[in-house]
Amino acid sequence: MKVSFPYMGSAIVYKKLFEFLEHEVIMPPKPTQRTMDLGVKYSPEFACIPLKMVMGTYLEAIEKGAKVLVTSGGHGPCRAGFYGDTHKNILKSLGYDDVELIIFDAPQDNWKAFWRNVQKIRNGVPWPKVISRMYTLYRFVQKLDELEKMVQKIRPYEINKGQTTQVWNEIQEKFDKIKTRKELYKIYEECKKMLLSIPTKEVDEKDKIRVGIVGEIYVVMESSINFGIEEILGNLGVEVERSLYLFEWINDNLVPWAFRPKRFKEIIKKGQRYIKILIGGHAVETVGHIIDFKERGFDGIVHLMPFACLPELVTQSLIPKISKEIDIPILSLPIDEQTGKANMLTRIEAFVDLLRNRKRGRTKEVFVNEFQQHADEERVVVV
Amino acid sequence: MKIAIPHALLYYYYFPLWDTLFKELGFEVVDTGITNKDILDKGSKAAVSDICAPIKIFTGHVIEGLEKADYVFVPRFARIRKPEYFCPKFMGLPDIIEGTVEGSHGRVISPIINEKNNEDISSPKTYDILTDIFGFSHREIRLALKKAEEVFLRFKNLLHSGLSCDKALESYRTQRWEEDLKRVKKDGEVTIAVLGYVYDVYDSFISMDVIKKLETLNVNIKTFEMVPIDIAYENLKHYRKRLFWTFSNRVLGAGLFYLKDPKVDGIIHVTAFGCGPDAIVGRFLQYESDVAGKPFTTLRVDEHTGEGHMFTRIEAFVDMLKRKKWASFSEVI
Repeated sequence: MKVSFPYMGSAIVYKKLFEFLEHEVIMPPKPTQRTMDLGVKYSPEFACIPLKMVMGTYLEAIEKGAKVLVTSGGHGPCRAGFYGDTHKNILKSLGYDDVELIIFDAPQDNWKAFWRNVQKIRNGVPWPKVISRMYTLYRFVQKLDELEKMVQKIRPYEINKGQTTQVWNEIQEKFDKIKTRKELYKIYEECKKMLLSIPTKEVDEKDKIRVGIVGEIYVVMESSINFGIEEILGNLGVEVERSLYLFEWINDNLVPWAFRPKRFKEIIKKGQRYIKILIGGHAVETVGHIIDFKERGFDGIVHLMPFACLPELVTQSLIPKISKEIDIPILSLPIDEQTGKANMLTRIEAFVDLLRNRKRGRTKEVFVNEFQQHADEERVVVV
Repeated sequence: MKIAIPHALLYYYYFPLWDTLFKELGFEVVDTGITNKDILDKGSKAAVSDICAPIKIFTGHVIEGLEKADYVFVPRFARIRKPEYFCPKFMGLPDIIEGTVEGSHGRVISPIINEKNNEDISSPKTYDILTDIFGFSHREIRLALKKAEEVFLRFKNLLHSGLSCDKALESYRTQRWEEDLKRVKKDGEVTIAVLGYVYDVYDSFISMDVIKKLETLNVNIKTFEMVPIDIAYENLKHYRKRLFWTFSNRVLGAGLFYLKDPKVDGIIHVTAFGCGPDAIVGRFLQYESDVAGKPFTTLRVDEHTGEGHMFTRIEAFVDMLKRKKWASFSEVI
């Protein structure tokens, strides 16, 4: 089967998944303007940007010869759970009858359908092999995420601009070739050394700025749609941490509730201080992560959301209140096909300046005093 | 004590129930009135800019209600049918209000409406919050709810007999009830199903009174409330998976029902700018109308929509339907 999948975050992980199951993988191209245009053209106008982007990705993958598309479903109330069926409907009306869309819903909704999908995807690979390989993949994701977190800590202090990003790309290429668990551990150590050998400048602890990125999963994880916000912030000398990493997402969502990490439950509890019930999507988690980042001493939050995202609009309504009550600056950025990079860059730069001034204690009064001093000195010179 | 019920969102569907409930409990019920420019401006100013027009209008009504009454009723709609939900914005409605409206803290009454399968939302447990805040006994609440449910069932009965929501509300207010059924116009040239949520279609500020305009063009109107919930769901059987939102399912189900009805000539989908569920519902309605071969149009409205261009579009659509109908008549002759 020629299998393809939507592009989100570290796409090599999904590629590895299907390679381990001995499928022929059609790697979808990294989303570009063309992907966006294709998606926008065929999607409902008011669907959110992830739906459009994924639609575009599917069409490009089909162009490259994909026959089976695999995606996840959901059980509401966020509309992401209905993407699969909408995509199916659109593909049908475009005449792609030979393309199969396999949608994985939560198993408790329909065990039979879930099992059928699993059997289709398993592709006849014996179960012991599947389990062993899935474990390898689990570790693969973990190691990749650990390296990414290192990248985000090193990038702001690099001496040669752009070096960290280059190394990160090399790392991804290396990871792409991994076949066994042994190789994984070996390459992980190599990559770690590579990252640690990047020359960095010493920065005083009180001059370091840390920003947490929270929001809807697709726009947070997929760099081509958020204009590589991590890189932008990194190049401005800011350490970043996302609220979502693939490894944590797997632990938080695919593991039964009773066995889920304590951290996840705590985040939900924190979020419920402002949003009383779970309302779908990532709204409660977003609020929980904002509070969590504050408690861990972060200096600011960037909140990303697709334009008109239902759950995140609730979060956005609460942001002024949260920001005031827990005293942390929050920048909320809605993203859609009309968003321009220049506009976003300006806002981020201004935000980082604000954080820096705030951290140095240059509140308004201090700033005015300094300005007055300068003015006085200049007057002296003039006289 | 005065309690305000904001004249927005599901007010149009549940007002008879809530009105009766609070009156039975001895409250003075304040209706915040029909949406006007002032209310909309207040709402737009307080709410976040990207949110849909109905929520902005609701926010405006809450602000209005806080000025006029002691308390404002903002229920949190979680579900009225398992395994479905409401739109996330409905589920977080009190949180949105808390975050955007200043001075709302402590003056908003928000029971959680979470029913397994009960459209009448009259489980006494839901309104326990009234016991906590005002100290009503459970018995008082149960009796009031019983009365309220009776009124609501009578109201629903009117809807199912073919009265649109605004007219049924009028019947409730004037206590004319079934008398109004005689006044339903059935002799229009064409029949159009106007599909959309009650707060889009009947809010004269959002939909620019689309129903009244259609009636002046000599059109019979059908809406989704006229289709009982079971019949609407019957029509959704062929989908792999139902939508997650009860009212979206009802709109879609009613749409499919009307597409099969030979008396209905065309479909107008009324939706608000930025409505999330409607992005999906609209897509499915459009697809199914293509399959059924019936004309379909979408009216997307927001707080900036001009009246003139709406009217032109509606007229053009109705003219097209009338001509189509005459053409098929003359072919038969």
